Amino acid sequence: MTPTQARRAEVNDAVKRIVALESRLSLAPHEIPDAEPLNGDLLKVNSLGFLGMLVRLEDELDVTLPDDLFTGRTFHTVADLTGVVLLAVGEQP
Amino acid sequence: MRWRSVLPRLGYELPPDLTPPSANGPLTPSVPLELIRQSVSAREYWDIPEPVAEQYRRYRPTPLWRATAFERAIGAEVPVYVKYEGGNISGSHKLNTALAQAYYYQRAGVRELVTGTGAGQWGTALAAACAAFGLSCTVFMVGGSLRDKPYRGSLMRLLGAQVHASPSGLTEIGNQGGGNSLALAIGEAVEYAKAGEGRAFCIGSGENYSILHQSVIGQEAIEQLSTMDAEVDTVIGCVGAGSNFGGIALPFFSCDDQGPTLLAAESSSTPKLTRGVYAYDLTDATGTGPMEAMYTIGSQYSIPASHSAGLRFHGAAKLLSAMRHRGQIAATAVGQRAALEAGRAFAGSELIVPAPESGHALAAAASVVTGRDAKHRGGRGVLVCVSGHGLLDLAAYDQLLAGQLTDLAADPEAVELATAALTRVDNTLVEVN
Repeated sequence: MTPTQARRAEVNDAVKRIVALESRLSLAPHEIPDAEPLNGDLLKVNSLGFLGMLVRLEDELDVTLPDDLFTGRTFHTVADLTGVVLLAVGEQP
Repeated sequence: MRWRSVLPRLGYELPPDLTPPSANGPLTPSVPLELIRQSVSAREYWDIPEPVAEQYRRYRPTPLWRATAFERAIGAEVPVYVKYEGGNISGSHKLNTALAQAYYYQRAGVRELVTGTGAGQWGTALAAACAAFGLSCTVFMVGGSLRDKPYRGSLMRLLGAQVHASPSGLTEIGNQGGGNSLALAIGEAVEYAKAGEGRAFCIGSGENYSILHQSVIGQEAIEQLSTMDAEVDTVIGCVGAGSNFGGIALPFFSCDDQGPTLLAAESSSTPKLTRGVYAYDLTDATGTGPMEAMYTIGSQYSIPASHSAGLRFHGAAKLLSAMRHRGQIAATAVGQRAALEAGRAFAGSELIVPAPESGHALAAAASVVTGRDAKHRGGRGVLVCVSGHGLLDLAAYDQLLAGQLTDLAADPEAVELATAALTRVDNTLVEVN
Protein backbone atom coordinates (compact mmCIF):
# COMPACT_ATOMS: atom_id res chain seq x y z
CA MET A 1 0.00 0.00 0.00
CA THR A 2 1.42 3.41 -0.96
CA PRO A 3 1.52 6.24 1.62
CA THR A 4 -1.32 7.92 -0.24
CA GLN A 5 -3.44 4.79 -0.16
CA ALA A 6 -2.63 4.33 3.52
CA ARG A 7 -3.66 7.90 4.32
CA ARG A 8 -6.90 7.49 2.36
CA ALA A 9 -7.68 4.27 4.23
CA GLU A 10 -6.91 5.95 7.54
CA VAL A 11 -9.28 8.84 6.78
CA ASN A 12 -11.97 6.50 5.50
CA ASP A 13 -11.79 4.33 8.63
CA ALA A 14 -11.74 7.33 10.96
CA VAL A 15 -14.77 8.89 9.27
CA LYS A 16 -16.76 5.67 9.46
CA ARG A 17 -15.85 5.00 13.08
CA ILE A 18 -17.01 8.47 14.04
CA VAL A 19 -20.27 8.43 12.07
CA ALA A 20 -21.08 5.10 13.73
CA LEU A 21 -20.31 6.56 17.15
CA GLU A 22 -22.37 9.68 16.44
CA SER A 23 -25.27 7.45 15.38
CA ARG A 24 -24.85 5.34 18.52
CA LEU A 25 -24.20 2.20 16.46
CA SER A 26 -21.64 -0.48 17.17
CA LEU A 27 -20.62 -1.06 13.55
CA ALA A 28 -17.13 -1.67 12.23
CA PRO A 29 -15.96 0.71 9.48
CA HIS A 30 -16.15 -1.98 6.80
CA GLU A 31 -19.84 -2.50 7.60
CA ILE A 32 -20.69 1.05 6.53
CA PRO A 33 -20.91 1.54 2.75
CA ASP A 34 -19.39 4.70 1.27
CA ALA A 35 -22.76 5.55 -0.25
CA GLU A 36 -24.63 5.27 3.06
CA PRO A 37 -26.66 8.46 3.78
CA LEU A 38 -25.34 10.36 6.79
CA ASN A 39 -28.86 11.01 7.99
CA GLY A 40 -31.02 8.19 6.79
CA ASP A 41 -32.37 4.85 7.91
CA LEU A 42 -29.05 3.56 9.32
CA LEU A 43 -26.93 6.56 10.28
CA LYS A 44 -28.43 9.40 12.31
CA VAL A 45 -26.22 12.45 12.18
CA ASN A 46 -27.56 15.99 12.70
CA SER A 47 -25.92 19.17 11.49
CA LEU A 48 -24.40 20.18 14.81
CA GLY A 49 -23.40 16.62 15.59
CA PHE A 50 -21.78 16.54 12.17
CA LEU A 51 -19.63 19.51 13.08
CA GLY A 52 -18.77 17.95 16.42
CA MET A 53 -17.64 14.90 14.49
CA LEU A 54 -15.34 17.06 12.40
CA VAL A 55 -13.71 18.43 15.51
CA ARG A 56 -13.14 14.88 16.75
CA LEU A 57 -11.73 13.97 13.33
CA GLU A 58 -9.30 16.85 13.66
CA ASP A 59 -8.00 15.32 16.88
CA GLU A 60 -7.91 11.81 15.51
CA LEU A 61 -6.17 12.70 12.24
CA ASP A 62 -4.09 15.51 13.73
CA VAL A 63 -5.27 18.07 11.19
CA THR A 64 -6.95 21.46 11.40
CA LEU A 65 -9.90 21.79 9.08
CA PRO A 66 -10.55 25.31 7.74
CA ASP A 67 -13.63 27.13 8.96
CA ASP A 68 -14.91 27.87 5.47
CA LEU A 69 -14.51 24.37 4.10
CA PHE A 70 -18.08 23.44 4.87
CA THR A 71 -19.97 26.67 4.42
CA GLY A 72 -22.62 26.36 1.73
CA ARG A 73 -21.99 22.66 1.15
CA THR A 74 -24.51 19.87 1.39
CA PHE A 75 -23.48 16.44 2.60
CA HIS A 76 -25.53 13.40 1.63
CA THR A 77 -23.34 10.37 2.17
CA VAL A 78 -20.34 9.08 4.08
CA ALA A 79 -18.30 9.48 0.89
CA ASP A 80 -19.14 13.21 0.77
CA LEU A 81 -17.66 13.63 4.22
CA THR A 82 -14.64 11.47 3.50
CA GLY A 83 -13.97 13.46 0.35
CA VAL A 84 -13.96 16.81 2.07
CA VAL A 85 -11.69 15.58 4.86
CA LEU A 86 -9.29 14.12 2.28
CA LEU A 87 -9.17 17.49 0.55
CA ALA A 88 -8.44 19.16 3.85
CA VAL A 89 -5.52 16.82 4.52
CA GLY A 90 -4.12 17.41 1.06
CA GLU A 91 -5.29 14.25 -0.70
CA GLN A 92 -7.50 13.92 -3.75
CA PRO A 93 -10.86 12.31 -2.91
CA MET B 1 -8.54 38.79 29.11
CA ARG B 2 -9.42 35.44 27.52
CA TRP B 3 -12.67 33.51 27.40
CA ARG B 4 -12.83 30.82 30.07
CA SER B 5 -14.70 27.56 29.58
CA VAL B 6 -16.28 25.72 32.49
CA LEU B 7 -16.40 22.41 30.60
CA PRO B 8 -13.02 21.04 31.79
CA ARG B 9 -13.93 21.86 35.40
CA LEU B 10 -17.29 20.07 35.46
CA GLY B 11 -15.98 16.58 36.15
CA TYR B 12 -18.26 14.94 33.57
CA GLU B 13 -19.24 15.20 29.93
CA LEU B 14 -22.52 16.68 28.76
CA PRO B 15 -25.10 14.26 27.37
CA PRO B 16 -24.84 14.10 23.57
CA ASP B 17 -27.42 15.79 21.36
CA LEU B 18 -29.87 13.53 19.54
CA THR B 19 -31.15 13.74 15.98
CA PRO B 20 -34.94 14.12 15.87
CA PRO B 21 -36.65 11.11 14.25
CA SER B 22 -38.28 13.37 11.67
CA ALA B 23 -35.05 14.93 10.49
CA ASN B 24 -33.88 12.57 7.71
CA GLY B 25 -32.06 14.11 4.79
CA PRO B 26 -28.83 15.73 3.69
CA LEU B 27 -26.80 17.88 6.06
CA THR B 28 -26.02 21.51 5.44
CA PRO B 29 -23.83 22.50 8.37
CA SER B 30 -23.35 26.22 8.70
CA VAL B 31 -21.75 26.85 12.07
CA PRO B 32 -18.07 27.80 11.89
CA LEU B 33 -15.86 25.03 13.20
CA GLU B 34 -14.17 27.31 15.70
CA LEU B 35 -17.51 27.76 17.49
CA ILE B 36 -17.92 23.99 17.61
CA ARG B 37 -14.38 23.58 18.93
CA GLN B 38 -15.27 26.06 21.67
CA SER B 39 -18.37 24.01 22.47
CA VAL B 40 -16.83 20.57 22.78
CA SER B 41 -13.16 21.02 23.59
CA ALA B 42 -11.69 20.43 27.02
CA ARG B 43 -9.55 23.56 26.64
CA GLU B 44 -10.20 26.02 29.47
CA TYR B 45 -8.88 29.34 28.11
CA TRP B 46 -9.51 30.69 24.62
CA ASP B 47 -7.82 33.71 23.07
CA ILE B 48 -10.23 36.44 22.03
CA PRO B 49 -9.49 37.33 18.38
CA GLU B 50 -8.13 40.86 18.11
CA PRO B 51 -11.01 42.19 15.92
CA VAL B 52 -13.47 41.02 18.61
CA ALA B 53 -11.31 42.36 21.45
CA GLU B 54 -11.16 45.70 19.63
CA GLN B 55 -14.97 45.85 19.62
CA TYR B 56 -15.10 44.79 23.28
CA ARG B 57 -12.87 47.73 24.18
CA ARG B 58 -15.66 50.08 23.09
CA TYR B 59 -17.70 49.11 26.16
CA ARG B 60 -15.68 46.72 28.35
CA PRO B 61 -14.86 46.38 31.16
CA THR B 62 -18.41 47.04 32.23
CA PRO B 63 -19.03 48.67 35.61
CA LEU B 64 -19.40 46.82 38.90
CA TRP B 65 -20.37 48.67 42.05
CA ARG B 66 -21.82 48.15 45.48
CA ALA B 67 -25.47 49.19 45.16
CA THR B 68 -25.82 50.86 48.55
CA ALA B 69 -28.87 52.91 47.56
CA PHE B 70 -30.64 49.74 46.38
CA GLU B 71 -29.60 48.02 49.60
CA ARG B 72 -31.29 50.78 51.61
CA ALA B 73 -34.38 50.73 49.39
CA ILE B 74 -34.99 47.03 49.97
CA GLY B 75 -33.67 46.73 53.51
CA ALA B 76 -30.72 44.48 52.64
CA GLU B 77 -28.85 42.82 55.46
CA VAL B 78 -25.75 42.09 53.36
CA PRO B 79 -24.00 43.99 50.56
CA VAL B 80 -25.35 43.82 47.01
CA TYR B 81 -22.85 44.18 44.18
CA VAL B 82 -24.14 44.88 40.69
CA LYS B 83 -22.46 44.07 37.40
CA TYR B 84 -24.13 46.13 34.68
CA GLU B 85 -24.14 44.94 31.06
CA GLY B 86 -26.58 47.47 29.60
CA GLY B 87 -24.08 50.12 28.57
CA ASN B 88 -23.59 49.24 24.92
CA ILE B 89 -25.63 49.95 21.80
CA SER B 90 -27.60 46.71 22.12
CA GLY B 91 -28.42 47.55 25.72
CA SER B 92 -27.52 44.08 26.99
CA HIS B 93 -24.89 41.40 27.51
CA LYS B 94 -25.88 39.79 24.20
CA LEU B 95 -23.32 41.86 22.31
CA ASN B 96 -20.52 39.85 23.94
CA THR B 97 -21.34 36.75 21.91
CA ALA B 98 -22.91 38.50 18.92
CA LEU B 99 -19.57 40.13 18.10
CA ALA B 100 -17.71 36.86 18.45
CA GLN B 101 -20.21 34.95 16.34
CA ALA B 102 -20.37 37.57 13.60
CA TYR B 103 -16.57 37.55 13.42
CA TYR B 104 -16.37 33.76 13.06
CA TYR B 105 -19.24 33.56 10.55
CA GLN B 106 -17.75 36.34 8.43
CA ARG B 107 -14.40 34.55 8.47
CA ALA B 108 -16.16 31.35 7.36
CA GLY B 109 -17.56 33.05 4.27
CA VAL B 110 -21.13 33.68 5.42
CA ARG B 111 -22.68 36.89 4.06
CA GLU B 112 -25.96 37.14 5.98
CA LEU B 113 -26.86 36.12 9.53
CA VAL B 114 -30.44 35.25 10.41
CA THR B 115 -31.84 34.89 13.88
CA GLY B 116 -34.88 34.86 16.13
CA THR B 117 -35.25 37.17 19.08
CA GLY B 118 -37.68 37.49 21.96
CA ALA B 119 -37.23 40.77 23.77
CA GLY B 120 -35.15 42.12 20.90
CA GLN B 121 -31.92 42.37 22.83
CA TRP B 122 -30.29 39.53 20.92
CA GLY B 123 -31.60 40.80 17.59
CA THR B 124 -30.23 44.25 18.33
CA ALA B 125 -26.90 42.81 19.41
CA LEU B 126 -26.63 40.72 16.26
CA ALA B 127 -27.61 43.68 14.09
CA ALA B 128 -24.83 45.72 15.72
CA ALA B 129 -22.30 42.90 15.35
CA CYS B 130 -23.21 42.39 11.69
CA ALA B 131 -22.74 46.12 11.15
CA ALA B 132 -19.32 45.88 12.79
CA PHE B 133 -18.19 42.96 10.61
CA GLY B 134 -19.88 43.87 7.31
CA LEU B 135 -22.60 41.22 7.27
CA SER B 136 -26.28 41.50 6.31
CA CYS B 137 -28.69 40.69 9.12
CA THR B 138 -32.29 39.43 9.20
CA VAL B 139 -34.19 39.20 12.47
CA PHE B 140 -37.46 37.42 13.27
CA MET B 141 -38.78 38.98 16.47
CA VAL B 142 -41.64 37.61 18.57
CA GLY B 143 -44.58 39.59 17.17
CA GLY B 144 -46.18 40.57 20.45
CA SER B 145 -42.86 41.74 21.76
CA LEU B 146 -42.17 43.86 18.67
CA ARG B 147 -45.62 45.38 19.00
CA ASP B 148 -44.94 46.29 22.63
CA LYS B 149 -41.43 47.54 21.91
CA PRO B 150 -41.45 49.11 18.46
CA TYR B 151 -38.22 51.03 19.10
CA ARG B 152 -36.36 47.72 19.31
CA GLY B 153 -37.32 47.30 15.65
CA SER B 154 -36.25 50.87 14.93
CA LEU B 155 -32.85 50.30 16.50
CA MET B 156 -32.25 47.08 14.58
CA ARG B 157 -33.26 48.74 11.32
CA LEU B 158 -31.02 51.70 12.14
CA LEU B 159 -28.17 49.21 12.36
CA GLY B 160 -29.06 47.88 8.91
CA ALA B 161 -31.09 44.78 9.80
CA GLN B 162 -34.27 43.52 8.13
CA VAL B 163 -36.81 42.95 10.91
CA HIS B 164 -39.86 40.68 10.66
CA ALA B 165 -42.58 40.22 13.27
CA SER B 166 -43.03 36.50 13.95
CA PRO B 167 -45.23 34.80 12.76
CA SER B 168 -44.10 36.60 9.62
CA GLY B 169 -45.94 34.98 6.74
CA LEU B 170 -42.56 34.34 5.09
CA THR B 171 -42.05 30.77 6.27
CA GLU B 172 -43.94 27.50 6.30
CA ILE B 173 -43.46 27.06 10.02
CA GLY B 174 -44.81 30.55 10.65
CA ASN B 175 -47.83 29.89 8.46
CA GLN B 176 -48.68 26.77 10.44
CA GLY B 177 -49.52 28.90 13.46
CA GLY B 178 -48.18 27.71 16.76
CA GLY B 179 -48.46 30.92 18.66
CA ASN B 180 -46.18 33.72 19.53
CA SER B 181 -43.05 32.49 21.14
CA LEU B 182 -39.31 32.61 20.86
CA ALA B 183 -39.24 28.98 19.69
CA LEU B 184 -41.39 29.93 16.71
CA ALA B 185 -39.29 33.01 15.89
CA ILE B 186 -36.20 30.82 15.99
CA GLY B 187 -37.94 28.23 13.84
CA GLU B 188 -38.74 30.85 11.23
CA ALA B 189 -35.16 32.05 11.27
CA VAL B 190 -33.87 28.50 10.81
CA GLU B 191 -36.15 27.93 7.84
CA TYR B 192 -35.40 31.33 6.27
CA ALA B 193 -31.66 30.84 6.63
CA LYS B 194 -31.79 27.45 4.92
CA ALA B 195 -33.61 28.92 1.93
CA GLY B 196 -30.92 31.36 0.85
CA GLU B 197 -27.32 31.05 -0.33
CA GLY B 198 -24.72 32.68 1.89
CA ARG B 199 -27.12 32.81 4.83
CA ALA B 200 -26.61 31.19 8.19
CA PHE B 201 -28.79 30.95 11.25
CA CYS B 202 -27.14 31.87 14.51
CA ILE B 203 -28.39 31.84 18.05
CA GLY B 204 -27.78 33.93 21.10
CA SER B 205 -28.05 32.11 24.33
CA GLY B 206 -28.07 28.43 24.93
CA GLU B 207 -25.10 27.07 23.04
CA ASN B 208 -21.87 26.36 24.88
CA TYR B 209 -19.96 28.81 22.73
CA SER B 210 -22.38 31.65 23.61
CA ILE B 211 -21.89 30.94 27.29
CA LEU B 212 -18.13 30.81 26.77
CA HIS B 213 -18.12 34.27 25.15
CA GLN B 214 -20.13 35.62 28.09
CA SER B 215 -17.43 34.49 30.51
CA VAL B 216 -15.89 37.95 30.20
CA ILE B 217 -18.65 39.16 32.56
CA GLY B 218 -17.78 36.90 35.48
CA GLN B 219 -14.03 37.12 34.96
CA GLU B 220 -14.17 40.91 35.05
CA ALA B 221 -16.39 40.71 38.14
CA ILE B 222 -13.87 38.51 39.96
CA GLU B 223 -11.12 41.05 39.26
CA GLN B 224 -13.31 44.01 40.20
CA LEU B 225 -14.48 42.43 43.47
CA SER B 226 -10.89 41.63 44.32
CA THR B 227 -9.89 45.25 43.70
CA MET B 228 -12.68 46.33 46.05
CA ASP B 229 -11.61 43.73 48.61
CA ALA B 230 -15.19 42.44 48.48
CA GLU B 231 -16.45 38.89 48.85
CA VAL B 232 -19.70 37.31 47.71
CA ASP B 233 -21.27 33.99 48.59
CA THR B 234 -24.13 34.14 46.10
CA VAL B 235 -24.01 35.03 42.40
CA ILE B 236 -27.32 35.68 40.66
CA GLY B 237 -28.40 36.14 37.05
CA CYS B 238 -31.68 35.77 35.20
CA VAL B 239 -32.19 32.78 32.91
CA GLY B 240 -33.93 32.62 29.57
CA ALA B 241 -31.73 29.93 28.09
CA GLY B 242 -28.86 30.96 30.31
CA SER B 243 -26.10 33.00 28.70
CA ASN B 244 -25.98 35.97 31.06
CA PHE B 245 -26.32 33.72 34.08
CA GLY B 246 -23.61 31.47 32.68
CA GLY B 247 -21.47 34.50 31.96
CA ILE B 248 -21.67 36.00 35.43
CA ALA B 249 -21.78 32.76 37.41
CA LEU B 250 -19.65 30.06 35.80
CA PRO B 251 -16.27 31.79 36.23
CA PHE B 252 -17.05 31.56 39.97
CA PHE B 253 -17.77 27.83 39.74
CA SER B 254 -15.63 25.69 41.95
CA CYS B 255 -15.86 21.91 41.63
CA ASP B 256 -14.87 21.46 45.28
CA ASP B 257 -18.04 23.12 46.60
CA GLN B 258 -16.01 26.01 48.02
CA GLY B 259 -17.35 28.63 45.63
CA PRO B 260 -20.40 30.85 46.00
CA THR B 261 -23.94 29.61 45.41
CA LEU B 262 -24.80 30.14 41.75
CA LEU B 263 -28.47 31.10 41.71
CA ALA B 264 -30.45 31.19 38.45
CA ALA B 265 -33.50 33.46 38.52
CA GLU B 266 -36.10 32.33 36.03
CA SER B 267 -39.59 33.53 35.20
CA SER B 268 -42.45 31.79 36.99
CA SER B 269 -44.18 31.66 33.60
CA THR B 270 -41.34 29.50 32.21
CA PRO B 271 -40.08 27.62 35.28
CA LYS B 272 -37.94 25.00 33.57
CA LEU B 273 -35.22 24.80 36.21
CA THR B 274 -37.59 24.74 39.16
CA ARG B 275 -40.57 22.83 37.76
CA GLY B 276 -39.47 21.34 34.47
CA VAL B 277 -38.18 17.87 33.65
CA TYR B 278 -34.65 16.88 32.58
CA ALA B 279 -35.32 15.44 29.17
CA TYR B 280 -34.45 15.55 25.50
CA ASP B 281 -36.43 18.30 23.82
CA LEU B 282 -36.39 20.41 20.70
CA THR B 283 -34.68 23.77 20.65
CA ASP B 284 -36.90 25.33 17.99
CA ALA B 285 -40.35 25.00 16.47
CA THR B 286 -39.18 23.44 13.18
CA GLY B 287 -38.23 20.25 14.96
CA THR B 288 -35.29 19.74 12.62
CA GLY B 289 -32.48 20.90 14.90
CA PRO B 290 -30.83 18.52 17.34
CA MET B 291 -32.66 17.49 20.48
CA GLU B 292 -30.74 18.58 23.53
CA ALA B 293 -30.71 17.32 27.10
CA MET B 294 -32.31 20.18 28.99
CA TYR B 295 -34.55 21.12 31.83
CA THR B 296 -37.73 21.92 29.97
CA ILE B 297 -41.40 22.68 30.42
CA GLY B 298 -41.93 21.24 26.93
CA SER B 299 -41.32 22.83 23.56
CA GLN B 300 -45.02 22.30 22.86
CA TYR B 301 -46.05 24.23 25.94
CA SER B 302 -47.80 27.47 25.04
CA ILE B 303 -45.97 30.11 27.07
CA PRO B 304 -48.20 32.95 28.29
CA ALA B 305 -47.33 36.47 27.17
CA SER B 306 -45.20 38.45 29.58
CA HIS B 307 -42.99 41.49 29.63
CA SER B 308 -39.88 39.36 29.96
CA ALA B 309 -39.77 38.07 26.41
CA GLY B 310 -36.10 37.19 26.82
CA LEU B 311 -37.07 34.61 29.44
CA ARG B 312 -39.91 33.13 27.38
CA PHE B 313 -38.06 30.01 26.31
CA HIS B 314 -39.17 26.52 27.21
CA GLY B 315 -35.74 25.10 28.07
CA ALA B 316 -32.48 25.92 29.78
CA ALA B 317 -29.11 25.58 28.07
CA LYS B 318 -27.80 22.01 28.09
CA LEU B 319 -24.74 23.11 30.04
CA LEU B 320 -26.75 24.76 32.79
CA SER B 321 -29.24 21.91 32.77
CA ALA B 322 -26.48 19.36 33.39
CA MET B 323 -25.11 21.51 36.20
CA ARG B 324 -28.58 21.83 37.71
CA HIS B 325 -29.00 18.07 37.47
CA ARG B 326 -25.75 17.65 39.39
CA GLY B 327 -26.67 20.19 42.04
CA GLN B 328 -23.96 22.59 40.87
CA ILE B 329 -26.34 25.49 40.36
CA ALA B 330 -29.45 26.53 42.25
CA ALA B 331 -32.63 28.05 40.84
CA THR B 332 -35.57 30.15 41.88
CA ALA B 333 -38.67 31.34 40.01
CA VAL B 334 -39.83 34.94 40.11
CA GLY B 335 -43.14 36.44 39.00
CA GLN B 336 -43.11 39.41 36.65
CA ARG B 337 -44.75 41.71 39.21
CA ALA B 338 -42.01 41.05 41.74
CA ALA B 339 -39.42 41.44 38.96
CA LEU B 340 -40.73 44.82 37.88
CA GLU B 341 -41.14 45.98 41.49
CA ALA B 342 -37.48 45.16 42.02
CA GLY B 343 -36.71 46.98 38.79
CA ARG B 344 -38.61 50.02 40.02
CA ALA B 345 -36.73 49.97 43.31
CA PHE B 346 -33.44 49.71 41.43
CA ALA B 347 -34.32 52.55 39.05
CA GLY B 348 -35.37 54.82 41.91
CA SER B 349 -32.26 54.09 43.94
CA GLU B 350 -29.41 53.36 41.52
CA LEU B 351 -30.83 55.54 38.71
CA ILE B 352 -30.63 52.79 36.09
CA VAL B 353 -33.76 51.27 34.57
CA PRO B 354 -33.17 47.53 34.38
CA ALA B 355 -34.70 45.32 31.72
CA PRO B 356 -37.66 43.30 33.03
CA GLU B 357 -35.53 40.20 32.58
CA SER B 358 -32.86 41.68 34.84
CA GLY B 359 -35.62 42.57 37.29
CA HIS B 360 -35.97 38.84 37.95
CA ALA B 361 -32.34 38.69 39.07
CA LEU B 362 -32.78 41.78 41.22
CA ALA B 363 -35.93 40.36 42.81
CA ALA B 364 -34.13 37.11 43.57
CA ALA B 365 -31.22 39.09 45.04
CA ALA B 366 -33.61 41.14 47.16
CA SER B 367 -35.14 37.94 48.53
CA VAL B 368 -31.72 36.56 49.42
CA VAL B 369 -30.30 39.68 51.07
CA THR B 370 -33.42 40.38 53.11
CA GLY B 371 -33.80 36.80 54.32
CA ARG B 372 -37.13 36.28 52.54
CA ASP B 373 -35.63 33.41 50.53
CA ALA B 374 -35.39 30.67 53.12
CA LYS B 375 -33.44 28.36 50.79
CA HIS B 376 -30.69 30.74 49.74
CA ARG B 377 -28.78 32.99 52.10
CA GLY B 378 -26.14 35.59 51.49
CA GLY B 379 -23.73 36.04 54.36
CA ARG B 380 -20.90 38.17 53.01
CA GLY B 381 -22.44 39.62 49.90
CA VAL B 382 -24.46 38.97 46.77
CA LEU B 383 -23.39 39.68 43.20
CA VAL B 384 -26.18 40.22 40.71
CA CYS B 385 -25.93 40.71 36.97
CA VAL B 386 -28.14 43.45 35.56
CA SER B 387 -27.95 42.07 32.07
CA GLY B 388 -29.59 44.94 30.25
CA HIS B 389 -31.39 48.26 30.45
CA GLY B 390 -35.13 48.67 30.28
CA LEU B 391 -35.36 51.94 28.43
CA LEU B 392 -37.20 50.22 25.60
CA ASP B 393 -39.45 48.34 28.04
CA LEU B 394 -41.21 51.31 29.57
CA ALA B 395 -44.66 50.02 28.61
CA ALA B 396 -44.09 47.26 31.15
CA TYR B 397 -43.22 49.76 33.85
CA ASP B 398 -46.26 51.85 32.85
CA GLN B 399 -48.44 48.80 33.49
CA LEU B 400 -46.78 48.28 36.84
CA LEU B 401 -47.39 51.88 37.86
CA ALA B 402 -51.00 51.64 36.71
CA GLY B 403 -51.52 48.51 38.81
CA GLN B 404 -52.35 46.50 35.71
CA LEU B 405 -49.58 43.94 35.91
CA THR B 406 -50.49 40.36 36.72
CA ASP B 407 -48.42 37.25 37.29
CA LEU B 408 -48.88 34.44 34.82
CA ALA B 409 -47.51 31.35 36.47
CA ALA B 410 -47.13 28.23 34.35
CA ASP B 411 -50.10 25.87 34.35
CA PRO B 412 -48.90 22.62 36.03
CA GLU B 413 -51.29 20.42 34.06
CA ALA B 414 -50.25 21.95 30.75
CA VAL B 415 -46.58 21.51 31.64
CA GLU B 416 -47.19 17.88 32.55
CA LEU B 417 -48.95 17.35 29.24
CA ALA B 418 -46.20 19.08 27.26
CA THR B 419 -43.46 17.01 28.88
CA ALA B 420 -45.18 13.64 29.20
CA ALA B 421 -43.83 12.17 25.98
CA LEU B 422 -40.28 13.49 26.28
CA THR B 423 -37.42 11.04 26.73
CA ARG B 424 -35.83 11.58 30.14
CA VAL B 425 -32.06 11.95 30.21
CA ASP B 426 -30.15 8.89 31.28
CA ASN B 427 -28.70 9.46 34.72
CA THR B 428 -25.49 7.60 33.90
CA LEU B 429 -23.48 10.55 32.65
CA VAL B 430 -19.86 9.86 31.78
CA GLU B 431 -17.51 10.54 34.65
CA VAL B 432 -14.19 12.22 33.89
CA ASN B 433 -11.16 11.49 36.01
